[in-house]
Amino acid sequence: MNLEIGPIFRAMMRNKVGAMLIMLQIAVTMTIIANGFSIIQERKALMARDSGVDIANSFHLSNVSFAEDFDMQTAVIDDLKAIRELPGVADAIQVNAIPLSGSGWSMGLQTEAGDDIDGSGTAVYMVDDHALSAYDVKLIAGRNFELTDLRWRTDNTNDWADVLIATEALTKSLFPDLTPQEVIGKTVFINNHEPIIIIGIIDKLQAPWSGWNNLDHVMLTPDRLAFRGNRYYIRAEEGVRDDVMKRVEETLSNRLSGRMIQGMESMEETQRESYTGASGMIKMLTLIMIVLTIITAMGIVGLASFSVNRRKKQIGTRRALGAAKNSIIRYFMIENLIISGAGVIVGAILTVGLNMILVQAFSLTPIAWYYVPIGMISLLVIGQIAVFGPAQKASSIPPALATRSA
Amino acid sequence: MLTMKDIKKVFRTDLVETHALRDFSLEVNEGEFVAVTGPSGSGKTTFLNIAGLLETFTSGSYVLDGMDVSNLNDKQRSKIRNEKIGFIFQSFNLIPDLDLFDNVDVPLRYRGFNSAERKKRIEESLEMVGLASRMKHLPAQLSGGQQQRVAIARALAGEPRFLLADEPTGNLDTKMAHSVMDLLHEINANGTTIVMVTHDMHLAKQAGRNIFVRDGRVSELHDVSQSEATDAISA
Ligand SMILES: Nc1ncnc2c1ncn2[C@@H]1O[C@H](COP(=O)(O)OP(=O)(O)O)[C@@H](O)[C@H]1O
Ligand SMILES: [Mg+2]
Repeated sequence: MNLEIGPIFRAMMRNKVGAMLIMLQIAVTMTIIANGFSIIQERKALMARDSGVDIANSFHLSNVSFAEDFDMQTAVIDDLKAIRELPGVADAIQVNAIPLSGSGWSMGLQTEAGDDIDGSGTAVYMVDDHALSAYDVKLIAGRNFELTDLRWRTDNTNDWADVLIATEALTKSLFPDLTPQEVIGKTVFINNHEPIIIIGIIDKLQAPWSGWNNLDHVMLTPDRLAFRGNRYYIRAEEGVRDDVMKRVEETLSNRLSGRMIQGMESMEETQRESYTGASGMIKMLTLIMIVLTIITAMGIVGLASFSVNRRKKQIGTRRALGAAKNSIIRYFMIENLIISGAGVIVGAILTVGLNMILVQAFSLTPIAWYYVPIGMISLLVIGQIAVFGPAQKASSIPPALATRSA
Repeated sequence: MLTMKDIKKVFRTDLVETHALRDFSLEVNEGEFVAVTGPSGSGKTTFLNIAGLLETFTSGSYVLDGMDVSNLNDKQRSKIRNEKIGFIFQSFNLIPDLDLFDNVDVPLRYRGFNSAERKKRIEESLEMVGLASRMKHLPAQLSGGQQQRVAIARALAGEPRFLLADEPTGNLDTKMAHSVMDLLHEINANGTTIVMVTHDMHLAKQAGRNIFVRDGRVSELHDVSQSEATDAISA
């Protein structure tokens, strides 16, 4: 079998424009597809991060008073008691902010007191002693809050509680060299100078902001909230969340006047909304990649069909000179392989180049090396599939065309 | 060498049937130089295409070089075209994007020769037609006569037993036509059987034998009479 690579290449170089354009199109398509895939995988990995909480069974709502004389402290205590007694409720807390909800508080913690010391940013959830159970998180060192740790935080409270519970990720960033056990009892500083003692470490909990670098940095403080508004975070028992949501809403609405129960939302919904940007981007990128692939395949079909039509007589002559149908098919397949081959080599360079720019400009994860060969092979295969139709058409040109056409 | 018996060739379209050959019978012996003349549309090219396995036929029998070629598949037919038959066309049919070397190389690659063998044959055959020095030229850089000589080199590089030419001088002026004819005679003298279709009675007469085709049938002429010759030319 003779592959004719040399003459195919030389003939192509005498009609380069079309081939060059398709080559570039293949290169660009590969660049965008490989980087697009990489970005999609990165986004998917972000979306798949463990939230730490029981997403499937939990929900939250806000509780806002409007009556001037509304007694929030009593309301919170009685509400929680009522909710916790409802059938199907695993546990419930009042809290200032909800993981992945997009809004909440953040503070900086530092290991030494002082004004110009870099701290670790962390989300702050103000909770009571039921938080670990409501979140369904694991205490990996130290202890939970006790009733004696709890205090009321009002609009006028300016200081911080004496103790906190932190996520392991937060303590790792504060004390990179210490084990969780060693961290227990350590003092950290908030607002530059105010000391707080770490009394417990939990495995995992997410901040309200899914795009934040410190998503896993969370501190819990033992604050009951006497603000005009707060939230309740409730974990239902396995599989009964929707019923529990209805029950909680009814119970709370009927219990007191002078306040509104609103914004009830499952954690599933909260998590989904938190990643709408990412999932929108995934959809858009996927669409672009599909459209681009189709356009490129059509370009290959178009160029090949054009060149088959242009070379009808030559193909008939080749057949007359002894080319079997297979040899004609092979000719066009190899021609495409040369074009696509050049395309994917240029594409590989562009892929890495574009990725470097994206990594720099948008701090994306660098592309995994194997996307490059996978992208190259995919486009080579797409090219071969696209050219097969025109190649087959070429092979059906009769040898008699050599004598019949002028 | 070539034996055709009662070959019929019918071209069918939805509307019409054209009987291009009717009971066409012919025998060509090894080493002959046969010229085929006849009015336009009489079936000369059809005969040549069938002889060269470019086209199949409707009925009849055809034995080429001792082999019945009536029922071969595409691959077998391609192989016979490649190995046993050389073609020369009226409009040369060189591949415009390939230089002379690569043009002559085309059938040799289908033959599966190694590159040293191909190179040797290409150089020898271009040498024979006097164009070895222009191997790297493109066809468009040559005159018509030169292009036809390249086509002849391409036809001969595989050393076929049998050379088929359809109006090989049809696109050439008289001087160039004569030089191509001289080349064909030389090739025939070296033992290659040649069948050539031509309009030109003068050139036909130079061949060893003349076949006259009319209405898809053969009328063999050893001595072309004046009236038929005129007939052929004016047709
Ligand atoms: N592919 C074809 N389809 C239909 N009719 C054809 C085809 N090729 C040739 N013919 C017809 O067959 C007849 C013989 O044609 P041809 O062999 O080309 O004649 P010549 O070469 O003697 O001029 C003509 O009537 C021509 O129109
Ligand atoms: Mg003809």
